[in-house]
Amino acid sequence: MSADDSGGIRDLLDRAAARALDLTVLERLALAAASTVLALCIGLVVVAAAGYDPVAFLANVFEGSFGDASATARTLKFTTVLVLTGVAVAIAFRAGVFNIGVQGQFVVGGFVTVVTILWLAPMLPASPAAGVVLMVLGTFAAVVAAGLYAALPGVLKAYAGANEIITTIMLNFVATGVVGYLVEGPFRGEGNRAPNTARLPEYVSLPRVVFENPDFSVVGFAVALLVVALVAVLMVRTTVGYDMVTSGYQQAAATYSGVDAKRTIVTTMTLSGMVAGVAGAVFAIMIQGYYSDPAGIGTYGFDAIAVSLLAANNPLGVVPASLLFGGLDSAGSYISINSDVPVQLIDGIVGLVVLFVAAPELFRMAARRTGLGGEER
Amino acid sequence: MSGATLETGERTRLLVGGVLVVVAIAVLSTTVFDLPVADILTVGFVERLLQAASPIALAAIGGLYAEKSGVFNIGLEGFMIFGAVTAASVTFLLGGEGPNQADLWVGILGATVVCTLFAFAFAVLLVRYQANQIVAGLAVWFVGLGFGPFLAVLLWGNRNSPGLTSMNDLTVPVLSELPVVGPLLFDTSPLVWLAALVAVAAWVVLFRTKYGYWIQAAGENPEALDTAGIDVARVRYAAVVFSGAMAGLGGAVLMAHAGSFTGTGDTMVNGRGWIAIVAYLFGNYNPIGAAAAALLFGGLDMLQIQFQTAGIELPNRLVNLFPYVAVVVVLTVWGSTRMPSAVGEHYESEE
Repeated sequence: MSADDSGGIRDLLDRAAARALDLTVLERLALAAASTVLALCIGLVVVAAAGYDPVAFLANVFEGSFGDASATARTLKFTTVLVLTGVAVAIAFRAGVFNIGVQGQFVVGGFVTVVTILWLAPMLPASPAAGVVLMVLGTFAAVVAAGLYAALPGVLKAYAGANEIITTIMLNFVATGVVGYLVEGPFRGEGNRAPNTARLPEYVSLPRVVFENPDFSVVGFAVALLVVALVAVLMVRTTVGYDMVTSGYQQAAATYSGVDAKRTIVTTMTLSGMVAGVAGAVFAIMIQGYYSDPAGIGTYGFDAIAVSLLAANNPLGVVPASLLFGGLDSAGSYISINSDVPVQLIDGIVGLVVLFVAAPELFRMAARRTGLGGEER
Repeated sequence: MSGATLETGERTRLLVGGVLVVVAIAVLSTTVFDLPVADILTVGFVERLLQAASPIALAAIGGLYAEKSGVFNIGLEGFMIFGAVTAASVTFLLGGEGPNQADLWVGILGATVVCTLFAFAFAVLLVRYQANQIVAGLAVWFVGLGFGPFLAVLLWGNRNSPGLTSMNDLTVPVLSELPVVGPLLFDTSPLVWLAALVAVAAWVVLFRTKYGYWIQAAGENPEALDTAGIDVARVRYAAVVFSGAMAGLGGAVLMAHAGSFTGTGDTMVNGRGWIAIVAYLFGNYNPIGAAAAALLFGGLDMLQIQFQTAGIELPNRLVNLFPYVAVVVVLTVWGSTRMPSAVGEHYESEE
């Protein structure tokens, strides 16, 4: 029975992947641009309908994302994390595995980083060199923990046929709940009023170098780009990557050429989780410097789905897509201070972008009807 | 065909096995860990369980119809958020901070209507524009997570609504005096009855009317339905719109039982739409089975209060995770379900 059953979902994914691959690079760019513009337009209509000035809102969006050095630094801060979570999603989606659990894996990774560093710090002398060692060890722990946390739904999918979309979403809730409980109780920093862990030592931090923003470091951004490069090479140049991409493109062809479908699912999920772990570590070290209740740390793992889809699940495309969504997030922080428009609107707009990216046919038909179909077709 | 019967037999065996395991755990935990099961299984608990299960059951029945017709509506969670926030908004706009029961009913109705309209737009994207069902469904969730709290902040300056009003119990004279059954069935929220009614009606329509057969055929064998002269796209439109309406109603029911809207974190819906999907898979695409599965998740959802009254010390945050863990366990043990064969396939009529 199970061969037949998992066939249903498999076919569904195959078809989705096949359709996504139908698009040319140019069409994808057009789709990304059209989706973003349409979502922003709807956002502006909502702003106007709610009684605010849409022009001022739009000005705030630009001002708050790339308006000056501090806005740009804030955008790059969000972008750094989104690049990493975006790549984590892209790895899985490319292989036809719907890992919606990047948020949970990101939370597990970040928490484990902080706990590991806090645990090891007393054993080393307080020096910048020790800081580097601690950051490397903390990130390594995050990669292992998040990789394992992602491998679990991978195993459940491969060997028990449990739909990974739903198990990963459930594991997001579990990660947030458990880590939330841990920082509230057992791991709360001594004398902390807020439910936070203790702070990381001063010397465990990334150097700022360029911008003034204490939450952004060029080193963090470089780490993100390095991971992108590694993943891109892995996908194109190695057997593991080849197996993953072939599985995502055509399950039947992959099986025929001798790919172990089950093992590929587990590998894909583990790899995806490992990158999410790096994202968690960078977030914990570069941005927070401690760990707090994950219910309030931002939805980097979910926005990453929008990032990856906009980038057509291509690791290199994730960088510009992250810049766009990093800009939107940054604009959100700016708007929440400098404007009365409820900042939740930005989340809604991100959701609309995803909705439109899912429907390329919508724009194709619109293009055909208006006679602008030249580059779309 | 023989595969199907074998499958049913296996399924029944699994179900019986599952129930036995639950009973065994209950017995073990009473004797070994000295858990006060009698304190946990109270009439009040079952009453709360029924109320908690109603929204999940409604959304599950909606999702089941969509999937039976060949469209995977993964956006149930999003529609539930819209349902909850719309119900709260309409109730508030009608009655301010002290709305009465009529305002609440109009709020529930309004939420269902609004979600029907949204679901129609969603159905157009899925059926006409052949959107990727998984991605579009996720997007509905994100849109709900954004615009739900947005609307709340717009109206109340806060992600949460002020206390509005919750649904009053419907008390049937005389019958409500019956022991156990009385308070459970004849002195309870009318929305529990509504959910039960919808479950039975959905079963009858799906398995006993020609419309139900059309829906099943649209999911299993769209070519045959087309040959018989029925418009496959139209059947799917109807099923998807119905699923959105039911999920919206489910969200509204959730709000009506709670008495206010909560928009912090993942909003008050908090995964119930996803649990609804598992409920209908667990219920094997049967509306009554889906409602029964919803009872299980509703019960897990309400365990926290029982643990407190029974004096069991467990952090709330961890007890609240039981339903999610249960979902993972159910999906693992239950394994893959046989989805309708044409789910996710876009159907183009030949003519």
